[in-house]
Amino acid sequence: MATIEFNQVGKSYGSVEAIKDFNLFIEDGEFCVFVGPSGCGKSTALKMLAGLEETTNGSIRIGGKDVTDLGPGKRDIAMVFQNYALYPHYSVRKNMGFGLKMRGYPAAEINERVEEAAKILELTPYLDRRPRALSGGQRQRVALGRAIVREPAAFLMDEPLSNLDAKLRVHTRSEIVKLQRRLGVTSVYVTHDQVEALTMADKIVVMKLGVIQQVGSADELFENPCNLFVAGFIGSPGMNFFRGAIQNTDGRVFTTFGGAQVPLPDSLAARAGKEAIFGIRPEHIVMGQGNLQTELSLVESLGTEKILHFQVPAGQTIDNSEFEMDDEEDRDAESMRARIIDDHKYQNGETVNMDFPKSKIHVFDIETHAAIK
Amino acid sequence: MIDFSSPRHRHKLGYLLVAPALILMALIIVYPIVMSVDISFQDVKIARIGVDRKPWTFENYEWLFTSAKFYQSLWVTIKLLLVVGGAALAIGFATALLVNQKFKGRALARLLVALPWAVPEVVAVVIWAWMLDSSFGVLNWVLLSSGIVSKPIAFASDPVAAFASICFVMIWKGYPFICIMLLAGLQSIPEEQYQAASVDGANVFQRFLHVTIPNMLPVLGVAFIMTALWVFRDFAIIFVLTEGGPIGSTTSLAIMTFEESFKFFRMGQGSAVGVITLIICALLSRALVSRFAKSVN
Repeated sequence: MATIEFNQVGKSYGSVEAIKDFNLFIEDGEFCVFVGPSGCGKSTALKMLAGLEETTNGSIRIGGKDVTDLGPGKRDIAMVFQNYALYPHYSVRKNMGFGLKMRGYPAAEINERVEEAAKILELTPYLDRRPRALSGGQRQRVALGRAIVREPAAFLMDEPLSNLDAKLRVHTRSEIVKLQRRLGVTSVYVTHDQVEALTMADKIVVMKLGVIQQVGSADELFENPCNLFVAGFIGSPGMNFFRGAIQNTDGRVFTTFGGAQVPLPDSLAARAGKEAIFGIRPEHIVMGQGNLQTELSLVESLGTEKILHFQVPAGQTIDNSEFEMDDEEDRDAESMRARIIDDHKYQNGETVNMDFPKSKIHVFDIETHAAIK
Repeated sequence: MIDFSSPRHRHKLGYLLVAPALILMALIIVYPIVMSVDISFQDVKIARIGVDRKPWTFENYEWLFTSAKFYQSLWVTIKLLLVVGGAALAIGFATALLVNQKFKGRALARLLVALPWAVPEVVAVVIWAWMLDSSFGVLNWVLLSSGIVSKPIAFASDPVAAFASICFVMIWKGYPFICIMLLAGLQSIPEEQYQAASVDGANVFQRFLHVTIPNMLPVLGVAFIMTALWVFRDFAIIFVLTEGGPIGSTTSLAIMTFEESFKFFRMGQGSAVGVITLIICALLSRALVSRFAKSVN
């Protein structure tokens, strides 16, 4: 078990900077998740930590020891890969014991440890099979087993669930968390899926274009995103955004949404007259009350919960380029969504009243996209 | 009119499309094989089509299995197979590993490696024959002027030197093909397996032993089979360099087939040698293919 420390770590490929000023401290036993869209540098950061990629500058410490110049085998870490990276020609038993064999452990001890890990992961009946005779979920467990038999200082996992189907992914997700809690080993987990990040992590590191955007717990990131990117990336469905001017009339600070006033915190009074981007999470929109009126363009019913779609008023949309979501999931910037659990039967085309609670509105600078407190 | 796109008739289109290739193969491969099997059971000096066929006999095979020349040729072929197969595989694998590394000028290096394979065999061998010439050859000149030997080596008339030169040219001609095949194999090994092994603490040698070799076994097997079959059937290199001499020290089964058929005009016996060579090749590839197929599954 160990702490992990990145100090001013950078990585360049020629003139392209893949990672910039990466500073991070991970506590002993913590489950840390690197999350971000593809190409954000999260896997590169993990590979640098593993010693599979060279750092261009900065230093990395594991358990207080500077490992920047050590090879992967000498960093006392174990890694789980996206495609499992099992040795196809070896049995499950040999796959799991490989790391111990390379380190010269006696055969009896290797066997004992492998049997023990197999018991934890319910792999005992498959120990003498080859990986190809296993299902995806079982292969994933073998990869985990290969990591835990070593009893390393840290587990590194590179999108280990992305090759599993949706149901198995949810199941394995909780299995990994339980296993990590039980073993108490510091873990670094890379994913592009913010749901995985929110559900698994003690600490989430949101990255974009090689730069850390925000570090915090799931609640911190959800409630206090530090910029527009984090606000839009964390949460499903994502936060709704609209632009508008901050106004101050007779001490009342507000903006408008389709002509109606949306009260804002008094702390924004000083910015009166300036444009800003406003964000509200679908969960926080209150339906059936308030002075905002809108027509529902689409009602999606998921049984108990409903997702209501409606248009952003003309002139108040923000475009995708401004939003900087280079993402696979293209945002529909012209529509907003509300997530509602109530008994009302909503209809497409219905006009409804709604309210954006003052305390739930996020405000972002229109230039820097940083959150305004 | 048959609609070939319908599921019921779709397979007929398939047959129709492969038919020309099948007919061509039957004409130029299957028919000659059947014919030589037929000839090998007849006492024929010069085979002719259209003349009355002779009665079937085992005479050719009786002669073959009691002939010292056949066993010597078989032995020469086996020696060639082991030396050329082994060395070409080792050199081919080594060069494949080399040009699989990332370095400047890799594309050029790959091209240079493949060059001997691209040169027409007879052209290359004639050049080698000149270079190996005992009086005017550049190789003897180098060996003499560097003081490695005191008198020229008679590559054509000394049995050991002749055999060695055949092996050398065959390896030179054969290893690029192996290298290209193995290079393709090396590129298909997932990088993550090497990364996982590095994280598991395996050093370069251990990664080679536990990741590269097991992943490459099926490709190595196929490469060896291809080389073995090539050594069995190759004719040009030996014929141009030594014509099977001196005193049969480089007479392989392919050379013996030629000699019996077209030098001594004993086509029945020549065909018998050919048929036996075919059977050996078939058995060899069957054994190796099933062995390596097992190692894959």
